[in-house]
Amino acid sequence: MTTASASALALAPVSTTVRPPVRAGAPSPAALVAIEVRKSLSTRSGRSLAVASMLLAPAATAIVAGASDESLGSVVGPLGVMGMLTGLVLLSLGVLSTAGEWTHRTVQTTYLLVPRRGRVLAAKTVAVALIGAVAAAVAVALTAAVLAGMVDGASWDGAGRAVGVFVAAGAVFAVTGAGVGAALANTPAALTSLYLVILGVLPVVRTFKPEVGSKLDPAEAVLALSQGQAQTQSVLVLTGWVVVALVAGAVVTRRRAVA
Amino acid sequence: MIEVSGLTKQYDSRTVVDDVSFVLEPGTVTGFLGPNGAGKSTTLRMMTGLVPATAGSTRIDGRPYDALANPAAVVGTLLDASAVHPGRTGRTHLRLMAATIGVPAARADEVLELVGLTPAAGRRIGGYSLGMRQRLGIAGALLADPPVLVFDEPANGLDPEGIRWMRDLLRGHAARGGTVLLSSHLLGEVESTVDRLLVIGTGRIVADGPVSDLLGSEGTAVHAADPAALTAALETAGFHVQHGADGALVVPGAEPGEVGVVAAAGGHVLTDLRPVRRGIEDLFFQLTA
Repeated sequence: MTTASASALALAPVSTTVRPPVRAGAPSPAALVAIEVRKSLSTRSGRSLAVASMLLAPAATAIVAGASDESLGSVVGPLGVMGMLTGLVLLSLGVLSTAGEWTHRTVQTTYLLVPRRGRVLAAKTVAVALIGAVAAAVAVALTAAVLAGMVDGASWDGAGRAVGVFVAAGAVFAVTGAGVGAALANTPAALTSLYLVILGVLPVVRTFKPEVGSKLDPAEAVLALSQGQAQTQSVLVLTGWVVVALVAGAVVTRRRAVA
Repeated sequence: MIEVSGLTKQYDSRTVVDDVSFVLEPGTVTGFLGPNGAGKSTTLRMMTGLVPATAGSTRIDGRPYDALANPAAVVGTLLDASAVHPGRTGRTHLRLMAATIGVPAARADEVLELVGLTPAAGRRIGGYSLGMRQRLGIAGALLADPPVLVFDEPANGLDPEGIRWMRDLLRGHAARGGTVLLSSHLLGEVESTVDRLLVIGTGRIVADGPVSDLLGSEGTAVHAADPAALTAALETAGFHVQHGADGALVVPGAEPGEVGVVAAAGGHVLTDLRPVRRGIEDLFFQLTA
C-alpha cells in the first residue's frame, strides 16, 4: 500500500536545485533551545506528557476534593503533593528528550547537524527546564483554581511558597530526567530505573532508615520544601539529583558512538 | 576537498577499519564499494564524527568535521534512513533540520518536492516505506545544497525510477563541481554513476582507481562453428586461448575486434562474440584472496 503510493510520487527534475540562503555559522544557543523545545513537543508522546503534566494535578485535586468529607486545614499540603506528582510526569518528558533520541536513533541527525554534543545537551537541559516550569505553572494555576472553587475555609498561608516550589519542581524533575536519559541513552532503561528508585527503593529506605531516605529522596524534598521545612537539605537533595544526572549525562554523551 | 588519512577503528582486538586513506576531489563521484561488514559505514561515521576513530583523521576543507561551524552546509549526509522519529511528519522532520542548519523553513517544502514526497509530507514517517524514508533522507541532505554529499547505501529500497533519479542527481551535483561519495555493496547499483571506485574489504582499501581500470574489458568470449580450427588460428596469431564453459573460447586480453579480424581472415563462422567483463565479485575475490 505505502510502496504503491511511493512509486506514484513523482520525482522532480534534478536541475531545479537552487542554492538557498544558508546561515554562515553555528546555531545560537537560543536557537538551539527553541529547536529542542519544538523537538520535544513535535512528537505525540512529548505532547501527551506535557498535557498530562498540566492536567493531572488539577484533575486529581478535583477528585480528592469531591470525594473527601474532611475539611482541609491548609492548601499547602495538597499543593506540595500535586507538585511532586506533576514533577514525576515531567521526569518522563526529560527522559524522552535525550534517551528518546538514542532509542529512535535520531541522535544521528542531531549530531551530524550540531557535532558539538555538549551544546546540544545544554540546549536540551534549558529546553526541558522551560517546558517543565511552564507546564508546572499551568498545572499549579489550575490546581489552585480547583482548590479555591471546591474547598471552603482552608488556609492559604504559605501558598505562595508552595506555588514557587511546584513550578521549580517541574523544571528540576524534567532536567533530572534529561540527565539520566542522556546517561543511560535508552528510554525504557532510564524510565524504569528512575521510577524504580524514586517510587520503589527510596520509600523502602525511608521506612527503615528515615534519616538516610530524607537525604536522598527528591519527592520528599519537594514535599518538605513546599511546607517550608528542611529547606537547606531539600535544596541540596534536589541540586544533587540535577548535578549528578547532568554530569553523568554529559560524560556519556561526549564519547558515545552513534551506531 | 576531503582528505581521509590512516583512519582506523578497533574494538578490543578486532580491527574493523584498518588504515583507510583517500582523497576526494571536487567534480567527481566516488563509489565506496565492499560487502556488508567490510567497514564502509564505520568509515563514514568516523569521517562525520559520529564514531570516535582509534587512529587517523579526516579533513574537510582542512578541518575535522566537528570543527565545521555549520557542517550540514558543507556536507550533506545520508547514513541511515530509518534513524528518524516515526511520530513526526516528513515536513516537521525537515523543518526541524532546516531550523538547525539555518535555511528558510520553505526550503523543507522545496526538497520534499524535489524528492517527490510532497503528497506524503503531512503523514507520519512511521507509515513511510523504506524507499520513502530513503528519499526523505536524501531531501534532508540536500537542504543546504552543500558542496559535498556522502550517502551510505542510498539505493536501498529505491525503485528503478528512484535509482535512475538519484544517478542524475549525483552526476549533476558532480558536474556542478560538487564532491560525491556513495557507498554500496552492489556494483550494479553504482557502476554507471561513479567515476572512481574505492573498494574496501575486511577494513582495508583493496583497490582505488577509475571504474574502467578496475573493471575494464578483460578479454573476449567467442563461439565458433569449428572451435578447434578457430583455436589454432588464434594461437597462430599469438593469442592465448582458454576453454570456457558451454563450449566458449575465452581469449584473455583480446578485444572482440581483434578476434573478429582473425576469424574473418581464416573464414571461420562465429555464432557469438562478446567482451568478457570482470564482475565486482570476481574483482573482490581476487583482491582479497
